[in-house]
Amino acid sequence: MSNEESWFGRFVDTLPTKGWFKFLSKYVVTPYWLWKDPKPKLPGGPRVSSQPSDNVQRMMNLIMPLKDPSEIGKARAVMAIAQNVDEIFGGLDNVGTVHFARFVILGDKLCMISVYDGDFSNYIRDFIVTVGSVFDAIMAEIEGGSALIPTEQNVEAFIEWVHEHDLFQAPDFPTELFTLQDQAKGIGPDGPVHDLSTLPRNLVLQFHSNPDISLGGGYRAYPGFSAAQIREKLGVGW
Amino acid sequence: MTTNSDKAVAKEMVDIMHRPDGDPKLRPIHTNGIGVTGFFKASETAAEYSNSEPFQGNKIPVTIRFSNASGNKTRHDGWSDIRGMATRFHLNGPQDFDLIAMTLQEFFTPDVPSTLEFLKAARPTPYHSATPLQKIRDYLSLKVPKRNRYPHEDLSPDDGGKKYANKHKFAQLPIFQTASIGAPVSYARAAYHAVHTFIITAPNGKRNWVRFTWQPVAGVRPRPIGPDNKPDDDYLNQEIRDRLSDRETARFTLMMSLGEQEDEVNNCTKPWPLHRTRIVMGMLTLNHVLDAKAQESKIEKMSYNPCLLPEGIEPSDDPILHIRRTAYEISSKERHANRCPFAGGQ
Ligand code: HEM
Repeated sequence: MSNEESWFGRFVDTLPTKGWFKFLSKYVVTPYWLWKDPKPKLPGGPRVSSQPSDNVQRMMNLIMPLKDPSEIGKARAVMAIAQNVDEIFGGLDNVGTVHFARFVILGDKLCMISVYDGDFSNYIRDFIVTVGSVFDAIMAEIEGGSALIPTEQNVEAFIEWVHEHDLFQAPDFPTELFTLQDQAKGIGPDGPVHDLSTLPRNLVLQFHSNPDISLGGGYRAYPGFSAAQIREKLGVGW
Repeated sequence: MTTNSDKAVAKEMVDIMHRPDGDPKLRPIHTNGIGVTGFFKASETAAEYSNSEPFQGNKIPVTIRFSNASGNKTRHDGWSDIRGMATRFHLNGPQDFDLIAMTLQEFFTPDVPSTLEFLKAARPTPYHSATPLQKIRDYLSLKVPKRNRYPHEDLSPDDGGKKYANKHKFAQLPIFQTASIGAPVSYARAAYHAVHTFIITAPNGKRNWVRFTWQPVAGVRPRPIGPDNKPDDDYLNQEIRDRLSDRETARFTLMMSLGEQEDEVNNCTKPWPLHRTRIVMGMLTLNHVLDAKAQESKIEKMSYNPCLLPEGIEPSDDPILHIRRTAYEISSKERHANRCPFAGGQ
């Protein structure tokens, strides 16, 4: 009788579905590995690249914890945005490199999700220059946000803060996670080869430092084109 | 230019590829397949990028062989395996066009020496199931235990490959993806990648480094596999016959990604980022499955070759693409197939 056909083999196969085993995995096994092999937080946003299509339609997933996540606190965040829609839309038009942007409230967080072209710091800088006052109203509702108001006068610190709160984008090709985790520990591409079977564990452990992540770089219907190129082709007079 | 040393290496590769449960009269890998015919029609945009005959918009007849990658002569459709799609475009020009693609986006090794080393290391070995204790150890290490053996699975296709990947970073992505690739519900519901870079020339002389992928219009759909469902051994052939009966068709779009400066054009272990500019080059329509006789006399005797390229489509310098030319030629000769195009056949 083969291993998987024995009663013990069949029993072991069902372990991951058993409540007590899930409990053990969550409260004993995972903490043990977190202690043994902690993973530094991986930086947010798209990764640096000199190649043209890596520098257009880049994704930002800015996740901002609400100071007051109650119903009233959420309504206040909505008001801060709703009252300034003209300013936000006009500002984004002026920035010129933004394809899409939207605000979402998810649990106790306010999220700004956008797709932009070019350098991240320039994007945030341009945005603050054009809609800084709106961001002041928003930051007043965000944990740790008050220290950055007025954002127009704290541009570099604000850029840093946004970068910190932009979600880590998990790689499109799973084994690249090894490389990114090595980089975060200062280990270069010539470092030792990882045991491939540890990839699932490395992902599990990464969630401790990056509890929210973006799954890959995202789908694009017409990759490689900037907002400016698209507007020009469409003849919308930009 | 094929040298004697290329021939010796390619021959060694083909020898290693033959599995003990294969058949020397058949292909050493992608042993089980089915032939389908139809036509390809280029998109209007295609001719802006390529002056080559397949992309000028004429209706081009094609012969396709879908396959399971395994070299086991017994068909096991439900087993997790890479699938192949070899397409011959029958052109008016002096040379036809073979576009050979598979469901994995990248290859295992970047050059000839590593391929030889990999093929040796990845030879199928007698199947050893994980013991329950090993599985418990894996759970406690937050690893995914080895999957259970399929009924009648005597050889393990990937133990050697996994060991190899633990020594060579370049092999990690393909080995990881192969381990979880599963089985499609239909040959017409998988995406197939031609993996290597080719160079195409536009009418204005501009050369682009490109990679091709077939995308099924019906959508990609893997079969759910769990520890309890025993995989069916033989459903893909009947599925494609049923799908194409009553004048029905199955379609694929040919997508082309444009390479950029610094992209790995000669290293097929590295897929390009998913957001490279993509061009729809045309639509493939499949409308006929060959009958058993034609399957035997035509498809099983056919010799595809990844370097069979028409004017206007050139191979990159990828060493794997070049050694494949010779390996396919040797394999075709050894199994007494119709002569490989490079050996004077067509
Ligand atoms: C060094 C690397 C490789 C070697 C040595 C190799 C070798 C071979 C050989 C000897 C055959 C049988 C040919 C015949 O007897 O007609 C074959 C078939 C095949 N190979 Fe490869 N291969 C390699 C890489 C690849 C890659 C990268 C792909 C996918 C892009 C691929 C896809 C296929 C397919 C689809 C078939 C079946 C063709 C048919 O249906 O006739 N192979 N390969």
